[in-house]
This record gives sequence, C-alpha cells and structure tokens, in this order.
Amino acid sequence: FDELHYGKYVSLYMKRTFFFDSHPPFGKQLIAAVAYLAGFDGQFKFDRIGSSYSEVVPLFALRLVPAVCGSLILPTTYHLMLELGLTQWTAALAGFLLLCDNAMLTQSRFILMESMLLLFALFGLLCILKFRRYHNHPYCLQWWLWLSLGAASLTCALCVKYVGFFSCCLGASVVGRDYWRLLSERQISDGAVLSIYLTIFYVHLAVLSHAGPHDSVMTSAFQASLEGGLASITRGQPLEVAHGSQITLRHSHGRTCWLHSHTHVYPIRYPDKRGSSHQQQVTCYSFKDVNNWWIVKRPRRNDLVVSQPVDAIRHGDVIQLVHGMTSRALNSHDVAAAMSPQNQEVSCYIDYNVSMPAQNLWRIDIINRDQVGDIWHTIESLVRLVHVNSSQALKFSGRQLPDWGFNQHEVVTDRILHQDDTVWNVEEHRYTKNEDQKDRERELVNAEMIPLRATTLSFWEKFIELQYKMLFANQENVQNHMYSSEPLEWPFMARGIAYWVSPHSNAQVHLLGNLVVWLSGSVSLVLYCTLLTFYLIRRRRQCYDLSPDTWHSFVVVGEVLLSGFLFHYVPYFFVERTLFLHHYLPAFTFKVLLTAALVEHLHRFLCETLSWRLALAVFKLLTLAWLVAVLVVFRRFSVLSYGTTPLSATDILRLRWRDSWDFILHRQ
Amino acid sequence: METLQKVSEVTKTVKNKSRGGLEDKKDRNSQLNWWLVFGAVLLLTAWSRFHKVSEPDHVCWDETHFGKMGSWYINRTFFFDVHPPLGKMLIALSGYLTGYDGRFAFEKPGDKYESVNYVGMRVFCTFLGACIVPFAFIIVWEMTHSLTAATFSASFILCDVGILTLTRYILLDPILLFFVMGSVLGMIKFHSCKERAFSFSWWAWLVFTGVMITSAISVKFVGLFVVILVGIHTAADLWDVLGDLSKPISYTFKHFLARAVCLIFLPAVLYIIIFYIHLLVLSKSGNGDGFYSSAFQSQLEGNSLYNASMPREVAYGAVITLKNHRTGGGYLHSHWHLYPEGVGARQQQVTTYTHKDDNNLFLVKKYNAELVDDEDVEIVKNGDLIRLEHISTRRNIHSHREMAPISKKHYQVTGYGENGTGDANDVWKVVIVGGRDEEPVTTVSSKLKFIHYLQHCVLTSSGKQLPKWAYEQQEVSCNSNMRDKNALWNVEDNIFPKLPNVSFTVYAPSFLERFFESHAVMFQGNAGLKPKEGEVTSRPWQWPVNYRGQFFSGNSYRIYLLGNPVIWWGNVVFLATFLIIFACNSVREQRGYHDLPSVKESKHRMSSACGWLFLGWALHYVPFWAMGRVLYFHHYFPALLFSSMLTGIILNYMLESIPQFLPERLASSTYHWFIGVIFSVTIYSFYLFSPLTYGMSGPSASDPNSTMYGLRWMESWEF
Repeated sequence: FDELHYGKYVSLYMKRTFFFDSHPPFGKQLIAAVAYLAGFDGQFKFDRIGSSYSEVVPLFALRLVPAVCGSLILPTTYHLMLELGLTQWTAALAGFLLLCDNAMLTQSRFILMESMLLLFALFGLLCILKFRRYHNHPYCLQWWLWLSLGAASLTCALCVKYVGFFSCCLGASVVGRDYWRLLSERQISDGAVLSIYLTIFYVHLAVLSHAGPHDSVMTSAFQASLEGGLASITRGQPLEVAHGSQITLRHSHGRTCWLHSHTHVYPIRYPDKRGSSHQQQVTCYSFKDVNNWWIVKRPRRNDLVVSQPVDAIRHGDVIQLVHGMTSRALNSHDVAAAMSPQNQEVSCYIDYNVSMPAQNLWRIDIINRDQVGDIWHTIESLVRLVHVNSSQALKFSGRQLPDWGFNQHEVVTDRILHQDDTVWNVEEHRYTKNEDQKDRERELVNAEMIPLRATTLSFWEKFIELQYKMLFANQENVQNHMYSSEPLEWPFMARGIAYWVSPHSNAQVHLLGNLVVWLSGSVSLVLYCTLLTFYLIRRRRQCYDLSPDTWHSFVVVGEVLLSGFLFHYVPYFFVERTLFLHHYLPAFTFKVLLTAALVEHLHRFLCETLSWRLALAVFKLLTLAWLVAVLVVFRRFSVLSYGTTPLSATDILRLRWRDSWDFILHRQ
Repeated sequence: METLQKVSEVTKTVKNKSRGGLEDKKDRNSQLNWWLVFGAVLLLTAWSRFHKVSEPDHVCWDETHFGKMGSWYINRTFFFDVHPPLGKMLIALSGYLTGYDGRFAFEKPGDKYESVNYVGMRVFCTFLGACIVPFAFIIVWEMTHSLTAATFSASFILCDVGILTLTRYILLDPILLFFVMGSVLGMIKFHSCKERAFSFSWWAWLVFTGVMITSAISVKFVGLFVVILVGIHTAADLWDVLGDLSKPISYTFKHFLARAVCLIFLPAVLYIIIFYIHLLVLSKSGNGDGFYSSAFQSQLEGNSLYNASMPREVAYGAVITLKNHRTGGGYLHSHWHLYPEGVGARQQQVTTYTHKDDNNLFLVKKYNAELVDDEDVEIVKNGDLIRLEHISTRRNIHSHREMAPISKKHYQVTGYGENGTGDANDVWKVVIVGGRDEEPVTTVSSKLKFIHYLQHCVLTSSGKQLPKWAYEQQEVSCNSNMRDKNALWNVEDNIFPKLPNVSFTVYAPSFLERFFESHAVMFQGNAGLKPKEGEVTSRPWQWPVNYRGQFFSGNSYRIYLLGNPVIWWGNVVFLATFLIIFACNSVREQRGYHDLPSVKESKHRMSSACGWLFLGWALHYVPFWAMGRVLYFHHYFPALLFSSMLTGIILNYMLESIPQFLPERLASSTYHWFIGVIFSVTIYSFYLFSPLTYGMSGPSASDPNSTMYGLRWMESWEF
C-alpha cells in the first residue's frame, strides 16, 4: 500500500534526487538514514503494490525505524499514564490495550509514518506533563530540560506529518492552561509572569528553527531555476525585439521552461518503427542554459546585426529564429513528432539534400497587443509562433522525451492555435553586435554566467516556497479511493484498508483494528462525556459525589486525553481530501488511554461510594472477561496483521464480521 | 444635525444614571428621551429605505431567480432550489396580495418590468429589511441599557450602504436578515424577562424566539448559525437557573421543559408545516422534476408519470428507461455518435441525460437468446443475466478493459454490436439491492445494480460532465469498486403490452418521504455548487475588508453592492479592540486586581454583551472558511450585523472609560466631541457612498470625470 510511496521517497534520498511530497521530510529522513547505514543503494523502484522485494533491499533496516517507534509507544504510554496520576495497573492496562490492537501492530510493521508520528507526539506530551510537575520551582534544570525536550519532540511530530500540528496545539494548550493558573498566584510578581511566558515561546521558537535545517538535505539537487532572480537578469535589457535580437523564449503558462536546441539529432527510427527527420532536436528545457539563446532574423536579410534605427518586429511579421550556438534555423515539417504523433515535429534544419526543403518561416502573433501594442516587447508581449507553411502553432506538448532527448520536454506544432501551451514570451534579450559567429558564441557563453549567480536561492526562500507548495498540494488531491473512509465511520471501524495480498494464497495484510478495543473505546468516550456532564450538573447543585482527589484526577485525565482525542479527530471533518482509516490512529490512541483511565475511575468510584465487596468483585470479573475477549480477538485477527499464514477462502469469510470489510479473495 | 441634539440629551441621561439619580422626574425624562431617539431612528430608517424603492424598474441581479420562483409559486409549478422554501413563499404571498399575477418571466437581469406589478414585492422585502435597524436598537438597549450604545449601533446599520442595497430588492437576504435579527431580539428580550419567569411576556418572547429561528432556517440554511447561537444562549441560561440553589431541581426541570417545547418542538413542527405547504402549493410539473426520484415525480400534475399506468414487473422483451438513483441523476442514454479517437475504443457513446428522450429507451433481453414473439412471459429476477439493447441504434450496452473518459480508474461503457448481436462483454447481472433471491424486478421501486459479468465491475454514473463531443452529458462508466454509491438505478418507464398495467399511485410516497427527499436533493445541490473552472469567486478573507462588491444593476442606472468602507473598516478595528480589551480584563481579573464596583459592573455588562455578539459574529463568519461551495460577498451580511452592534457597544464603553483618565473639565467636553465626530463621520460617509445604492449614472468611477472618481479608494472596487 503506501509503502509504495514512502519506499520510493527513501530510495530517492539515497540517489539524492529531488522530489516533492505533501508531507514534511523528517520521517522519511529517519528511515533513509537507517537504510543508508544498512547499505541500501536506492536501486529498487517501488513500482507496484504487491511486487516482491529483491535481494538487495535491506528490508529489515527499512522497516526497523517504524517498528522500533511502534514498540517504544508502549512504554511511553505507560509513563504518560503514570504521569497523569493513575495507578500502575491502569497504565499497564492502557499499554495492554494498545499492544493488542491490530491496527497499531499493522501500521508500525511497514515503512509508514504513523508510528513515528505517534511516538513523538506522545513523548512530547509526556515531557510537557513532567514539566508541569516542576511548576513550583521554575528555572531549575529539570524544568528547562523537560520543557525543551517536549517542545523538540512535538516539533519532530510536526516534521513527520502535518497532523503533528494538532499534537503541538494540545501541548500548547496544556502549558497555556497551566500558565493561566500561575497567573492567579499573586506572590509571583508581574515581571516573572511575563518572563515565563516569553521563555516558553522562546524555547518553542528556538527548537523550531533548529528543526528546520532538516529540510536542507533534500534541497541538494534543487537547482537554482526558480523565478527569484528574474529582476536582476532583465534589468537594463532593450525593450523592443528587432532583427538581430538575441532572445530566450519562455513557455509562459504552466511549467517553466525555455525553447532549447542542441547538437544532437532525432533518432532515425523510434521504438514503434516510425521514422523521424533525423534533424537537430528542439526541446523545452527547464534550466537556464546557453543553448536557450535564439536570434531573430528577417527572412530577406543575411546579416545578424542590429542596425540603427532598430528594425522592430511587429504583430504579423514573418521571421526566422536562428539557434545561437549552432546557427541553424527553427523548422517544422510534416513529420510526426516523437511523443505526440498527431502533431508535427519541430527541429533545427539541417540540409541533407533529400528533397525536404526548409520550412523555417514563422509568423509572430502577439496575443495581448491591446495592452502592450503592436511591437514585440520583451517579457510583456505574449506571442504565438505560427508556422507559415502549415498554419500550426509552436506548442509545448507536456511530454518528456526519452533518454536520447535527455529527458527534456518535447516541442511540437499543433493545429489548435488558441491554447495556453502555445503561448511564449521573451525573457532575456540582447542586441547582437558582432557579425562573426565565433565572437557571437563567446559573447553568449560569457553572458550566460550572470543569471546563474543571481538565481541561487537562500535556504529560507526555498524553505518557504516548499512549505507553500506542500500546503497547497495538500488541498488538491481529492479523489475517490476504494478503501477511503469517512471520519464518522472511524469510531465503529466500518472499513479497513487492504495493504497487501499474497499472489499465491489468500494470505493478506489488512489494516483493521481490534474490534473489541475500538468499540469499547467508543463506548467509554460516550460514557466519560455523560459522566462528566452528570458530575458537573450535580456539582452545580452543590452535590459532591466524589472526593476532591478523585474529582481532580477525573478532570485532569479529561483535560489531557479527551482534548487530545478531539484535537486529533474533529479537524478531519473539515478536511477535503481522501481520508483513510490510519488517519484516525492518533485520536484512537488517546481514546484508548481514556478508556483505561475510565476503568480506573469506575473502580475507584465503586470502592469509595458503594463499598460492596460483591460489586467490586463483579467489576473485576467483567474487566477480566473483557481483557480475555480483547486477547482472543487479537489472536484471531493477527493473521491479517502479519500476513504470513496462508488462509483459505472460508477462513477469510469467517473473519469477515461485517459486510463492509472488504477483504481480498482470489477467484478460483 | 437633529441627531446631534438628541445625542447631547442622551448623554445627560447617561450621566444622570451614573450618579444614581432615580427620582421619578428624571426617570420620566429619560423615557421621553428614549422614545425621541427611537422615533428619530425609525423616521430616518423609513426615509432611507423607501426612498426611490421602485427604481430601477428592471430586474436586478438575483431578482431574476427569486422573482421567478415567486411566480412559480403563484402558478403552482414545481421547481428545485437549494434554499428552503419560506423566503420564496413569502415573496410569492406578498406578490399575490398586491396583485402580481405571476406572468412575468424574470428572464435575466436588466429586463424591464413595464406594466408588471413588482413594487409590492419590493416594498415587502424592503419593509422586512428596514425592521433590522429598530431591532438592533432594541437589542443593544436591552443588553447595555445605554442609549448612546444603542444609537451608535442602530446608526452604523442604518448608514451602511451595503445593508441598504441588499435589503431593497426581491431577494432572500432581507428576509433572512430580518429573521436573524428577530431571533436575537427574541432571545435578548426573553432573557430580560427572567425575573418574571412564566409570566405572559416571558412566554410570548419565548414563542417569538422559537418562531423566528424556524423562519430563519427555513429561508436559508445559513439560519442554522443563529439557531446555534440561540441554543448556546439557552444552555447558558439554564446553567444559571440550575445554579440557583434556592429553587428545587424540579424548577430547573420546568424551565428546561418550557424551552424544549418552544425552541425545539415548536420549531420542528413549524418547519415541517412550511414544507407541507410548499409541497401542497407546488402541485404541477415544472422544470425541477428531473432532480427528484421517479416516485416523487408521479405526484406532480402534468408529469408523464402522473397517473401513469404500466406493468408492475419487468419482463424479458420490455422496453424500459433506467434512471440513476443518485439524487438528480439522469437517464441511461446512448446515441449514434462514437467516442472520439484517443478516448478508449472508438465505439458508440453511452451517457446519462437528465431530459426525457427516445434515446433513453432500452430493450431487456436474455443473455443467451434473442427474443421470440410467441414465447411465454418471463419476469426478470434478482441475479439474472441480461443484455440491454438500445432501441434506436440496436447496440448492446457493453464494457471492456479500457479507461473511461474522465474517471480514469473505471472501465469504459459503450454501445456495441450490430442489430442486437454483440459479444460476451454485453452480459450484465441484475442485482436488487437488499432483495431476496429470485425476487422479481419491479418498476420504480426496485433499486438495481448492474454488474458486468466478465469484468466484475458495476455500471455507474459518476455525475461528471463529458466534454463537447458528448454534448456535455454525464459520464457512464463501469467501476470495479462495488460499493460505488452512484451505481444504483431504477426502472422508470416500462412498456410491455403483454402484462397488465397497474396504476402508479401505489408507489406514491408519503409526505414524510417527500420531505426527506427534498432535503437530500437540497443538500446535494448545495454541495454541488462548486466553483467552475476559471470562475472568480469571493473568498471569506475579502469580506470584512470590503475587498470587492457585487454589481446589482448595470448599464445606465448602476447599482453596486458595497459596504460603507468607514463602517466596515471600523468594525474590523473594533473587533480587534474588543479582543484586546477582553484579554486585558481577564488577565487583570485572574491576577486579582480589584476595581470599583461601578467600574466592575460596567465592564461586566460590556463583556457579556460583546461576548454574545462576538459569538454571533464568529458563528456567522468562521464556518464559511471551511465551506467548499461557491461563496458570495453577501454571505457576510449576517455577521456584519453582529459586528456593527458590537462596535456600538465597544465605542460607548471606550468613550465612557477614557474620560476617567482626564481632568474633570476636559472629560465632559471630550466625550461630547467624540460623539459628535463619530456621528458626523458616519452620516457624511453615508452621504458620500449613497449613490452606490440609489443608482449612479454617467461614466464609471475609473473615469476622472465621474462624480465617484475620488471615492474609488480600493483598486478592486469596480463601480
């Protein structure tokens, strides 16, 4: 399943190729680091769900980090529960429930992010709670230690997935509430209050800014090709494009690239047996290059020098475009293009004497001449280059050429003139002064050096642009997936996710929680809310059913765990993208902890108010029975988590307790 | 400048009050003042709202929709709209009472009314819109008991050209705003009756609130936010009652019961009654039929299904139409045209089409045999394998492993074969959802799934529009995810002479079924209002800053919906001020600083009043951030009302607390100066921008010769 994506990203790290993902990189970096130590070379492609790993992949190392994180969650939970003032029994119970949950097990056994996210979030929370204990003597060593550890860990959670943001909110709200209580203690002077406030923020920001540089790893291959330095290039260049102008032509809408040519030719035959013209390739190249320069030429004139007065090109004029480095003219003819056979090929003309005359005349069609006037202007004018012989327009087709075209983008001509991909504009522009070709080339090569320096972006610029794109991309991919589910279905576990099925037998891995744990979690959530309302109303009427101690622990538990659940669950109702069951896991963890806490509360309640031995015994028995049920269900469904036992069709059908669980069955 | 005099009188009363003078004479004096100011507000409101109300005499902006819908009510023609019916019913009622006959077409904005009697409807909407101002006055008065604050709030609403423009036309917004304000008024009035619980006025205001919230939500679903506001307020109220230990718990219960009856039960009943009237009135078939299910349509006079009779069961050899069961789904359709090159196999297109057409007819055949005439009648059963032949082209519905044109993960569905003979890929398995084995397939009532026998995918309509080559009909594909919610179909027409026809009335849905179906269709319609590719939509952040308005009427007599920038920007500033003041006060309180009782009292009153208004503002504004549908500028106006009232209260609070820091002599005059300045700025800005609402003619404001040239303060304003 998603191992496909994350695995691919990890191998891209190995090759140091830049990639783009809508999640922050920390989790992938961790996995990549371990994989690197294990000697993974990133050669495996992660193409298809279900394809088996080859020998070279250190699978153990790849899956080590999530698995270790997944195991560490349990002790963290244990300590967290203790820190909340609950007994060891309860803490152990919470640990047991998490241990016996199939969804947690499945999720932490593969190359996935959730277990890391959870570990960091829970550990951060634990630190924050520990920090809280020292609020009576601030600025001591432990105080600082726990605060900064908590902030760091929560930030790591944020760096694994943006969902970690909710954990940060939770941590902040716990600290904020504490601070609010602190405010009421008058013996602390105003100044001290303010300084604590600032300290907390300072720690957070300091940690954040140190966590940021993780991103720099991924930017190693990030070529300085962004728009940042445009102003520095274009300053001081002539406005009107004329006969003899040296220009670069940029594809205006959509992907940034420049019209490009180089000394290599199209292959004589393509793999599908079509022939080509075997002339010089013309492509669209996404990086600044000396081969992006073209010279504008009137068909009748032979020199390439800009004369005075300037012979400006106007709307409707017919020109030729000569490639600066090779001095060949831009040409198109009735030969099918390499990747889009329905379009004409574009090349730089080489005369092979095969009765294939040059068709290198282009008419300039300025689209926005209402605004900028009839004369072809640098940058401002959007032009369409219409091939005179065939009345087709020069177009960026969006397809990539194979290796022989150095993976640059294909350029063709298209019959449909009015589309965004046929629009170009001049970006850099200089007038030619030298007649001699050698001098001209030297000039071009030298001139090229300037923009390169200007466009290297600082880390911060890249960082901000990346963040922006990630958030943006996060909003876009809305589509229907077979195993997607709705937030409302999660608490009842209506759908699972099929991760993998063996090609030979029905052995499969299916993300599915332990039904008993999930349902009891949901029940206890409702029960807790009801109890809370009930107690609140009773207290409002001055009836105190609970001892202050019990009440206090009841409230603290709710404050942290219930709000933790809400923080991680409610936002999904407002998210417009495909959601899966595993998005629920953080909220689920808090829910399970709440369940354990509720069990303890009920126990205490029974001890305190109804001191019947019998009730207590019954309660204990019920709890035990419940735990046994949890264990049994866990064992039954563990075959789906491990996926190593071959199952028969009837086995699978027997596990299908709900109609909405879609296990995969091989058809006979 | 009459107002200014009033104001000085007002301030006197305020000072009297603060000195605690409660003698009869002064009391009577202040009451007189109150009535004088209130009267002035009423007069100004009436004058500003009804001035030139009948102009322009052509259809403006959305009048084209709501006027048209009003006519449909008068003509009793069924239609579909995403909003609940009350607003349009009221418009229709007002039109009916003032002699409008429902004949005018309201085709597009700019159509001249000529001799049509439209003024009645305009005046009705304007009247409701005008009530907002006195409502605001009373609400703020009840919340603060400060005449200055009330006058401030009322004047901010009065002088806002945006609200003025929006409430002068045949639209739903004046009606909605009226009911929203009415709900808040009822809530506040009810709250101030709390000393006299269960008295007549207490009950009256409670019932009034209940009626108002129902009406608000039955005009537009945005009314839900005010329902939530009232709900929270009621809960807080009950919490107070609960905390009163001098009363027994049964007393709280009584309170709870009274509120539950008036604010939950009564509104629910009213709401259903409104829909009942809606469905009762609209009894004739119209252009909205296609959005509803076949059973629903059979209730509409003039629809082809009305009083229709056809065989109850579907037999082999029957000619049927298949309607997608998704709300608003179309009929399975095919035509001679082929899929274009590059889109799957070049075979005949299969789509869904929302209109009735002969190309929607299909013949049901067995999977293995052609039909012979003298055969016995055989009914199609759950689980049977069938083929569907398109009547006019004689091709079978077919699917194969090629990508569907838009949903790339689905398989393409085509029409295939010659004269009804195709191949094995034409075979579909009929499954009745929730049906027993061997259950016969019935007309209209059976929900069917068609599962492709070989590819194991289900015939579905994604609802996505195909490009021009398919005449923008909707895509039909075959989805291998069997849980696809859009894969349900039902048989609508069933033509088979060998079986006896039964009357269709047996399928008649009850009122409640129709009620729920209308809701399902409305919600889907609302969710479906996605911005089209390249359409400029308004974003929530633009609203409070008054970033861009909306043209109501173009050409020679231009009207532009835009807020009064002075008031709007002021509102934003004072919202922020409120938050700062609130935070400061809370921190001070938490730190245990003590204030004088009088200061504490005024602070407390201010923050509780502002707190509720702020909540109202947030409830009416924040949810729009999370909405995916198309948003418009006028969605902000309910929130604006709350924010304007808040501004009035905060301004008053600041004016009262700032002079405390000044010497005695300066204090009084500063106070008066400020009041004078605020009122004159408000009124002057209204004067400046009033042409936006009363109509502009001549060149547009980007032209230096225009009278509005200097007023184009933001580049984005288009007047």
